[in-house]
Amino acid sequence: MALLRVRDLVKTYQVGEVAVRALRGVTLGIDAGEFVAVVGPSGSGKSTFMHILGCLDRPTTGSYFLEDRDVSHLNDDELSAIRNRQIGFVFQGFNLLARTSALENVELPLLYGKQRISAGERRRRARVALEAVGLADRAEHHPNQLSGGQQQRVAIARALLNNPSILFADEPTGNLDSRTSVEVMDIFQRLKQDRGITIVLITHEPQVAEYASRIIAFKDGQIVSDQANHSPRVAVGELALLPAS
Amino acid sequence: MTIGSSLGIAFRALSRNKLQTALTTIGMTIGVATVLTMIALGTGAQTAIEQQVRAAGMNLIVVKAGNYKTKTEDDVGGVVDHQAAIAPQSQVLLASFHPEDDPMEKHDHPTSRQRLGDVEAGLGAAATLTPADAEAIRGLRGVQYVSEGIHENVHAIAGDKRWFTRLHGGDTDLPSIKRSWTFPYGRFFTEREQSRRAAAVVLGSIAAQKLFGATNPVGRQVFLWKQPFQVVGVVSSGSWMVTAAAGDDQFDALYVPFTTIHQLLNLSKLNDISITAASTGDVTRVANDVTELLRARHRIAQNDPDDFTVVTQARQSLAKGGLRPDVARAVVGNVGGLEKVTLAQLGRTLDRAMKTMTALLASIAAVSLIVGGIGIMNIMLLSVTERTREIGIRRAVGARAGDVLRQFLVEAIALSVIGGVAGIALGALASGIIAQILRWSTALSPLSIALSFAVAAAVGVFFGYYPARQASRLDPIESLRYE
Repeated sequence: MALLRVRDLVKTYQVGEVAVRALRGVTLGIDAGEFVAVVGPSGSGKSTFMHILGCLDRPTTGSYFLEDRDVSHLNDDELSAIRNRQIGFVFQGFNLLARTSALENVELPLLYGKQRISAGERRRRARVALEAVGLADRAEHHPNQLSGGQQQRVAIARALLNNPSILFADEPTGNLDSRTSVEVMDIFQRLKQDRGITIVLITHEPQVAEYASRIIAFKDGQIVSDQANHSPRVAVGELALLPAS
Repeated sequence: MTIGSSLGIAFRALSRNKLQTALTTIGMTIGVATVLTMIALGTGAQTAIEQQVRAAGMNLIVVKAGNYKTKTEDDVGGVVDHQAAIAPQSQVLLASFHPEDDPMEKHDHPTSRQRLGDVEAGLGAAATLTPADAEAIRGLRGVQYVSEGIHENVHAIAGDKRWFTRLHGGDTDLPSIKRSWTFPYGRFFTEREQSRRAAAVVLGSIAAQKLFGATNPVGRQVFLWKQPFQVVGVVSSGSWMVTAAAGDDQFDALYVPFTTIHQLLNLSKLNDISITAASTGDVTRVANDVTELLRARHRIAQNDPDDFTVVTQARQSLAKGGLRPDVARAVVGNVGGLEKVTLAQLGRTLDRAMKTMTALLASIAAVSLIVGGIGIMNIMLLSVTERTREIGIRRAVGARAGDVLRQFLVEAIALSVIGGVAGIALGALASGIIAQILRWSTALSPLSIALSFAVAAAVGVFFGYYPARQASRLDPIESLRYE
């Protein structure tokens, strides 16, 4: 069953007098539990694609069904609610709140949820999420006291806090060294394996895309290839071979 | 998102940059402090003037026994025939009195009444007021305090000190009528002492100084007419406008229950009755009611003149009531031809002056609050720019535009309220210091504090809305990319 379906997705930006066509008709379906990598050079439209799938943006034309609900014409508040409940984001620059503890960063999505959650309960859930990414002992640290890999793990813990069905990762390894990159990929692969979370990974590095089970290539706002990756790299195995940092 | 978590976020954001927060709130602090100080000073000045005007007799009515005045100089130097003024239609001439029988006259020797008592003294028409009259006046509508008055001159003797001074017999209501009295030592005589005709005396501060020097005289004895009196208190001026001086009628004086004087001197009549009206605007009506009541009680026929005099002259009391001359001039100077001016009109004049002052205060308040508000708006706009990425992050994890708006609005309100609270503290301190230095009474009412607080919050909402709206309108994607 398709978790999300898009048909004839078109996105046009007006930059001054010029209309930039970022997406020129994209049709695609992603099933629940898939680990999809979206690759392409910069300007290929992959980020715009992710923003629309992530409900941060709306398509100019075309339809987008998320869990069988047409979300292409929802208003801002409704999109915010979907981002809060069904979607998690991991960014290249980590995007953690500065001068704010890891724990407080992680509990952020709970502040904007529909139901009221007590401060104690928020804290408890955030702590569980931090433990899951192995950072229980760093809960009170601020982002500037954490390494890049630790920051990205905090960001992943935050993205997963509301148990979203889909996780979007926009160049998650762009700011990380190779070992930490593999660690992050290991987390993604385990999330897919253990919790069946759908992961959409945006990257311009082909070797990072190799960890995914399906690779979609973008060029000039269109899909140029969409292939299953039958032999993805296995992060956990590679980690064993890499020297410990 | 709950208000609690909005507040939490706001205070955390503000505490992250304490110096910036402090600097931003300074404008607000000064604004609110100014407002509060000015309100305090303004109402303080108003209260002070009102009190002084009341103390000077604005709501005071004095009923004097007798209606025997002949030609006297009026305030402006002209000659007024009071008899003609009082009963112009009457053909009956008033009896003229020996000066010694004039109860208002000051004597340096015992008068006939002191020697013989009022019945034998033949006070006749002059001794017309009785304690029963005063009691009847107490029952009138609009009457606040009533004090029987007997005034004598007396040689007070304490040890080897002698002091010739005024003796006032009065009621326990007298301090309430005088208003501006304070008691540096002891107290005024009590209801019980009055009803038991106790030999209790309250010394005016000048008399106390003359008889006992700087020591506390409470409990000591003073001899009046060779009778021992116990000193129960010392009365002094509690007003910055009235200073006690030797020879004045209020503080170079002794106060004894009128019942005690009646007993001691075998008197049954009163020299005068002092009355205060509950409201200043009501004085004329109360005075008329008193006149009617006394005419009825004294069975005075329609065309006969009063056998008493009701005095309500505001100017007389302003000019002679112990006001500091400059203040009296200021009050009187604002009202041309006071004789023709009713108290209501005088009240309106004071009201107008207060309105002008209030308008001035309001404009100062407005300017300082606008400046403070613009400071907050400026810093909030800066903060929105600085925290664009934070806004993007919050939007990405599901914050609605409304949540962002509220977060920044709450932060602006928190800023202005912090400034406001500091301003209230500073304003209270400033008005306290000013009250100390200028000896000017300041009134810091809970209402003015609540008002300052509300104004601070309102400024936060007004000047915080625009930046908050800007924040909420930011595009999530752009904000996430913002460096």
